[in-house]
Amino acid sequence: MLDLVIKAVAYSSCIGIGAAAIALIYNTTKTFNFAHSSMVTWGIYMVFTATYLLGKSPYFFVALSALFGAFLGIIVYVSVNRRLIKAKANEVTLMMSTLGVDLILFGFLNIYSDYLLNKYKFPAKYFALETRDVFIKIGDAQIRLVGLVAPIVLALIVIFLHTFLTKTKIGTAMRASVENPQLAGLSGINPEVVYLLAWVIGGALAGLSGGLLSMVITGYTAVGMTIVVSFFAGAIVGGLYSVYGSLLGGFLIGLGEYLGVTLLSRFVGAWIFSYRPAIPLVIMAITLLVEPRGLVALSTRFQRR
Amino acid sequence: MELPPVLLQIIINFAIGLIVTISLNIEVGFLGLPQFGRLLAVITGAIVAAAVPGRILALYLGLPWGADYAYHMNNFGIVAKVNELLAANPVLSIGILILTLALAAVVGGFVGYLCSYPALRLKEAYLGITLLAFGDLIMTIAWNYEPLVGGTTGVSVIDPFVFVGGKTRFTVAALVALGIAILVYLYAELLARSPFSRVLKAIRDAEVAANVYGKDIVKVRAQTLIIGGAIAAMAGALWALYTGSMKATTYTRLTWTFWPWAFMMLGGTGNNLGVLIGVLLYAVARTAIIIYKGAISAVLGIAPEWLEYILIGLIIVLVVLFRPKGILPEKPVLTLPKEKIRKISEES
Repeated sequence: MLDLVIKAVAYSSCIGIGAAAIALIYNTTKTFNFAHSSMVTWGIYMVFTATYLLGKSPYFFVALSALFGAFLGIIVYVSVNRRLIKAKANEVTLMMSTLGVDLILFGFLNIYSDYLLNKYKFPAKYFALETRDVFIKIGDAQIRLVGLVAPIVLALIVIFLHTFLTKTKIGTAMRASVENPQLAGLSGINPEVVYLLAWVIGGALAGLSGGLLSMVITGYTAVGMTIVVSFFAGAIVGGLYSVYGSLLGGFLIGLGEYLGVTLLSRFVGAWIFSYRPAIPLVIMAITLLVEPRGLVALSTRFQRR
Repeated sequence: MELPPVLLQIIINFAIGLIVTISLNIEVGFLGLPQFGRLLAVITGAIVAAAVPGRILALYLGLPWGADYAYHMNNFGIVAKVNELLAANPVLSIGILILTLALAAVVGGFVGYLCSYPALRLKEAYLGITLLAFGDLIMTIAWNYEPLVGGTTGVSVIDPFVFVGGKTRFTVAALVALGIAILVYLYAELLARSPFSRVLKAIRDAEVAANVYGKDIVKVRAQTLIIGGAIAAMAGALWALYTGSMKATTYTRLTWTFWPWAFMMLGGTGNNLGVLIGVLLYAVARTAIIIYKGAISAVLGIAPEWLEYILIGLIIVLVVLFRPKGILPEKPVLTLPKEKIRKISEES
């Protein structure tokens, strides 16, 4: 049971980080990033490759995932997103363009994993880095390290984002152009820098989320397509217009998926386990139909009172 | 008579693709709805085709037809017996085919109607993701709930084309699908020239203005979703009948939502002829990739199925960047000729 809770916390933290990435990019550039799924999976594969090549603990390479994610973010922005924003494309077109990017990244990811399999004989089609995690002994219980690292990283990201957005000049500029792009432009803020920065941070967070996830879930090339729904659900439950809200939403979705299903199984029976992928979808659908603004709406409601 | 396999592949891919993409075009191209849940109606149609007609005939034959019907140990035998019956009765087979398609259309239309509830409350990205979630939800249920369509093992689907015998059935089935695709295309063309499509495009381009002129947006949205859902469900049913089996995981949002989007954007969103060209290009390109599989992987050193993903992704990105209106951009709606308008005004 303890292991389950720890795994749930680790998984939820990763979903939270990824959901925050979606919200950040959506808020600044109005692009709902479908390429998120491949960015996360590339993050997983970065850690996988480095771990197998160099034979060290996966933790050394999580930063590499973040760097690669940021790199992918820059590519997406410079090659596709920038031109579309300039052409004032609507939200659906922006969304579709990232879908195209996602398919390209997915194709290359598969080619890459084929290459790893053929050249190095790594099990690149199906792998679990879970076994390479460090287990800490506390009393009788064994605790996997990722259960501690992932929430700490999540907390650090919150601190980083908060400091960055409120204390630095460029962060303030970023918030300004989210709230009122025209006014921000008039006061001399270059929107392109803001957009690029959003893609860099968003990409890095996506990669980071993938890097940590590699130690929680089984890796395969299509894993992103399966779990991306949880990221979307997290971002939307959190309210999409708030980065922190999405972070929290993602965390809750993750907990709902992992722990909710276990709790439900006590009442209704073990058959519920196979419906686990449906849980984030149901939570999301209910949230959207009841309160489309998500968790953010709750906080504003409290403020009004 | 049998068609060569290459031609057969092109025809079936084209026919099914055209039906789905036309239905998408009615919702996205005409009304401007972000329909990222095309999968929902398609898989509903496939479930209807896999679950309903077989059960009706099994009941008629006195075979297990309840939850046992989809159980993998029974299903194969039951479907084989039903197919024997169908092989002996061409009239019954055709009746069952029409019944299945009609039922799929009705259920698909109903699903579309259900979707109009979120479609009124949500916009753009929110709506797109919600519809996408609905599609995945149905897929998860079909994949896990065994009594419906066999869960993870899937079920065999009865074969209303079996009476023509042997491999000819594939040819006949593909030609029937093509015939239906042409009918759907003609219907969409008629729709595009009707006052209804002018209302749709008015809502797409200026919702407030259309509302001010007294158009009931709620009703029009629901109607469009019903039409689109019904057409897409027929495609799902046809595909299940053609392949003769139904397994939930073969219905992914990638193949049944995103690829049709890509063909639609390539051809020209809002233009039926453009959509037709987009789907045809894809059907030919895909078949070419399958035929030259060996040659491609020998030259490039990669597996060709990944090439397909990269190609479709590139098409989407390039079209969005350099030709946002597609190969054949949408044309202004045709109005009646001047003479006819004068005649009408004289009559009234």
